[in-house]
Amino acid sequence: MLDQLGNGLLLGTIISVASVALSLLYGVTKIVNFAHGEIIALGAIATLFFSSPIDYRIEFLGFIPPLGLSFAISCFLAVLTCGIFGGILELFLFRPLRKNNVGNIAVLVVTIGLSIFVRHLYLLFATGKVQNFPLELQRRQTYLFFDMTPRNLNVLIAGVIVMLLVGFFLTYTRIGKAMRAVRDSEDLSSISGINSDNIILMTWVSSSMLAGLAGIFQATINDVRWNMGFLILLLIFAGTVLGGIGTSFGAMVGGFLIGIFVQVSVGLPFMEGHTEAKNAIALAIMIIILLFRPQGIFGQKERIS
Amino acid sequence: MNRLLRSKNLILTIGLTIFGIVLVVTLNPDGYLRVLLNLLTFAGIYGLSAIGLNVHFGWTGLLNFGHASFMGVGAYVTLLLIPHAAGREGDITTTGLPLFVAIIIGVISAALFGLLLGLPAIRLRGDYLAIVTIAAAEIFRLLVRDLENITGGVYGIISYSQNLQQYRPGFVTNLATKFDIAPSQTWVCLIAWISIVLVLFLLKRLNNSPWGRALRAVREDEDAVRAMGKNAVWLKLQSFMLGAGIAGLSGVLLAFNYGSLETTVFIPLLTFYVWAIMILGGVGSLVGPIFGSIIFWVIISETDRIAYIFFENANGQQLAGVRFLLVGFLIMILMIFRPSGLLGKKEELLLDVK
Repeated sequence: MLDQLGNGLLLGTIISVASVALSLLYGVTKIVNFAHGEIIALGAIATLFFSSPIDYRIEFLGFIPPLGLSFAISCFLAVLTCGIFGGILELFLFRPLRKNNVGNIAVLVVTIGLSIFVRHLYLLFATGKVQNFPLELQRRQTYLFFDMTPRNLNVLIAGVIVMLLVGFFLTYTRIGKAMRAVRDSEDLSSISGINSDNIILMTWVSSSMLAGLAGIFQATINDVRWNMGFLILLLIFAGTVLGGIGTSFGAMVGGFLIGIFVQVSVGLPFMEGHTEAKNAIALAIMIIILLFRPQGIFGQKERIS
Repeated sequence: MNRLLRSKNLILTIGLTIFGIVLVVTLNPDGYLRVLLNLLTFAGIYGLSAIGLNVHFGWTGLLNFGHASFMGVGAYVTLLLIPHAAGREGDITTTGLPLFVAIIIGVISAALFGLLLGLPAIRLRGDYLAIVTIAAAEIFRLLVRDLENITGGVYGIISYSQNLQQYRPGFVTNLATKFDIAPSQTWVCLIAWISIVLVLFLLKRLNNSPWGRALRAVREDEDAVRAMGKNAVWLKLQSFMLGAGIAGLSGVLLAFNYGSLETTVFIPLLTFYVWAIMILGGVGSLVGPIFGSIIFWVIISETDRIAYIFFENANGQQLAGVRFLLVGFLIMILMIFRPSGLLGKKEELLLDVK
């Protein structure tokens, strides 16, 4: 079981970063964003697009030659792309909906339509082939008591640093404080002179950038697929719900717990030969949590119903 | 005035449906009967499923995104009770139950699964219920795929179509051969549409009964229902069971239409198809999903032409891509600009979280 711990930590990092993004967005806008997975996939696809060298066998966007930028710059540009995409979504789709007082459930259905739409745009323009980042192969090494490649260890460290930064950003910066204020009460924060429209825009941008980063992590550890976001979306929901939807710290912990649980459950005796069902366990945990403690581990009761 | 507007909508909807069918006929000059039969069969099966979803969302306001699993439970339970072969090299196994009994057990199982899934609905409000139901549907699908020695795993279940086809009356076969269309699909199509008529008749009775009014009251104001001494929780669960049972029946028909059943049929996209049909037809409207379903499948069956405009020699992936692109777009546009669909009543639409 312990040999799966390394994999669990890695999956946990991906889910954790993505859950924080989802939870932040839900907290401020009350939107359950089913298109979150597509922003994650955008991060990975954009990185692949920017970083593929000219002679690399790239299947994406066949009619545009690959740019061949360095991997670090590509990641930066991809995260930026995701941020811009999130901003565009808010400005041209969700802000008009909010101004017209469209209900939450209608918006939820809209995000599902958006998710299907964008995902199949990827299928059309990025093809259905599974691809990898143009990075050299690495051998697994043992760190403390788990095995992973040096690159994946870097991903893990980067993930932890990013989450510490997010925590710092929400607790100490002016925008972060304003986001939390809008989350608690949009009306009261407006009275206090906070431009809630701007804050919601900032939330969309930062949530999308985090999601894009999670996508880069996921693609570095595994691979790039057109539907990679949708495959992991339900696990992200599970992580968010486990920690407490709308909380940031809770989503971090919940994401890690779900990631570790999914991977470690592969080693359980009754799971032998049933590795495909590992995601089912995480989803079952989520449903049980929702039944008996719908506010999650760290959530507050008054936020629920 | 309102009544006039409603009948105007109905005329518009029927006109649109007829226009869609005429469009299909003119676009497929040779063999349009085969295209039409395929279209009407899928429209019937998905329409039936959408009617079930409408009981959940349209009548009671329950945000169910696990509809595919209800269809799956109905299909799998029924098929496992009648002679079938599971897996790549499975032998024919059977329990000896007659088909009709197997279908009834399948529908009841789907309803019981609805009861199970409805339990969270007691405690959770709208958006949480959406997450729970979609997750439960995925659990169901993953488990079915994993139980390889019973359900055939990824290879699915085969050799069961004859169970339904042996009851095919002679006139259906004669009619089908006369018009040069597949007799087996004609029979499935006929059963689907007969089921729709029966289910609609049942729902019409229920809708006008005190029970139906109480159900709609749950959607509007749960507290008021409680104050009137009605058991709102039990009403919600009953609604979940009724809708799930209808979905189970449509799942059985879907299985018989395909001829082989794999778990990939019941991916979340199936649920979203049914949602698109329900929204298009009109949330809360009884006959809306039927027209919605026909128009939806007219669009789906002709999207390949759009794909060929953009991609010369489009491959299967691109065809599917364009089709789902359109479905996603349809869901978005309808929800933004006409959430009540073709025949829905705007005042009956529940779009805010309770």
